[in-house]
Amino acid sequence: MAKDVQPLNLYTKSVGVKVLLSLFSGFMLLLIVGPLLWLAIHAFATEWLFPSYKPKGWTLDWFRKVFEVPTLVDAMKTSLIISPIVVLLSAVICLPAAYASARYNYWGRKSFLIIMFASNAFPKIGLFATIATLYYFLNLMGTLVGVIIIQVLGTIIFMTWIPAAAFAAVPKSLEEAARDAGAGKFRVFRTITLKMAMPGILVAMVMSFIYAFDEAQGTFLIGAPTIYTMPTAMYAIVETYPIQVTAVFSILLTIPSVLLIGLARKHIIGGQLAEGFQIK
Amino acid sequence: MALPPILVLGTFIGFPIGLAFLFSIGFTGGLNEVLSIIGQDVRGRDGKLFTLQAYKDVIADPRFAGDVKTTLIVSFVATVFVLLFSTGIGLLQRLRGGKLSSVLTALSLTPLFIPVVISSWALYTFYGSAGLYRTIFHSFGIDVPQITSTMLAVIIGSIWVSLPFATLMITSGLQSVPNALIEAAQDAGASLITIIRTVMLPLALIPIIIALTFTSIGILGSFTVPFFLGANQPTMFGVEITNFFSVYNRPQQSIVMAFIVFAAASGIAFFYIWANFRNAKESGRV
Repeated sequence: MAKDVQPLNLYTKSVGVKVLLSLFSGFMLLLIVGPLLWLAIHAFATEWLFPSYKPKGWTLDWFRKVFEVPTLVDAMKTSLIISPIVVLLSAVICLPAAYASARYNYWGRKSFLIIMFASNAFPKIGLFATIATLYYFLNLMGTLVGVIIIQVLGTIIFMTWIPAAAFAAVPKSLEEAARDAGAGKFRVFRTITLKMAMPGILVAMVMSFIYAFDEAQGTFLIGAPTIYTMPTAMYAIVETYPIQVTAVFSILLTIPSVLLIGLARKHIIGGQLAEGFQIK
Repeated sequence: MALPPILVLGTFIGFPIGLAFLFSIGFTGGLNEVLSIIGQDVRGRDGKLFTLQAYKDVIADPRFAGDVKTTLIVSFVATVFVLLFSTGIGLLQRLRGGKLSSVLTALSLTPLFIPVVISSWALYTFYGSAGLYRTIFHSFGIDVPQITSTMLAVIIGSIWVSLPFATLMITSGLQSVPNALIEAAQDAGASLITIIRTVMLPLALIPIIIALTFTSIGILGSFTVPFFLGANQPTMFGVEITNFFSVYNRPQQSIVMAFIVFAAASGIAFFYIWANFRNAKESGRV
């Protein structure tokens, strides 16, 4: 696996290279972390006027204020309820297909993987507009079920591809050895196949959760104005509330992703995600 | 066992897309009836079964040329920079290792943790009129205009959002180039540039192409980043599709635009499929 590879340690003694690299790192730091920190610090600021480098004063009041706005609290609740449902539903729908794609070379298997990819190439917002047509007919506009379906659609690609690669990476000989030793089919699947593919499934679940938690366009089009999740509420509050409130809300909205990716970090960087995106 | 996802995709993606395509060429009956009654400027309501008038409307619209230009420039420039950054960081990690390259990798993966709405908003406050970007210049006595509401901001935002996936793909591809091959080339006297150009990049070509296709397709159809960071007009198609659908209430023209973007994305997707098949053929799986 990729993570075991040692770099070649081609150190150059040239000071120029070192300076250049340090400059590039500094540039990347400012580019990536700068905006996040800038916004996050606003959450603790009483008032912050241009062109000062720091706010007039510090406060924790904005955190209390956010929890006093009922629409924002509702949005948090809705998000925390919907996202796990989406992940579980997506797992139930997709994991058997992922296993099948990895283990059996069934008819149309390749087309299946390509259709999956093509559905990802259609511009999301155009897709949501077309789905709205169907939703009007099925009476799903503005309903929780409608929002859940919209979010499940986006998770399917993670939930089939990544676990499929993980299942495929489990050596068949191991399964056969266990069968020879007398283990039943189900036991082999549970204790060997599923266990070894678990990191991939975990990555898929984390990515799906983040996708669902983060999904705004479709949720807004289908859910608003009756159902607001945290990201769709964000669209609304950036225009009406002070920047400090949006900063607090941003911090709250980021916590689940940071926790979850932190949990699966090793596997994501270890190549489970990258493996999943190559059709085999 | 592959049936459930196919059914879900078929019902909620395949079927609506088919329906929408019929709608775009003037089929206004059946399930499309609600939309064609609510919507403005729906072509084909006069009973014609087939008309390309909606496509002509979109192309003749004065906004169209500007939108095409903006979408193409943003997608192209951002994709190029994403690939340059992620390949550079991947090579650095593979060849040099060390603390600095780990820090760079960690930095380029950071956006993965942040919901796109948040990152777009954070970038907006950073590059906006009261943001750190202007504050820094101001402390040197230079008064610069804000970057937000320009194409540059959309490009920066798109790079920001797309960097982690490309870095993951390309880093993992470069890691799988065997040390032995690189060392053999070194022993034969090849320079570092030659090794990168003739050994490492060709062997990591497939992951690089995958990163290229996903990045460019993602940016091509993006909405949140150009919505927060871009100008109102001209804008990227993702925003224009939304505007036409909900603000201007012209669903047919909105769907026509979706198909135009889809056609462009399919062109790019072809590369991806080709690369994957070539890959599978080389390792004898096809």
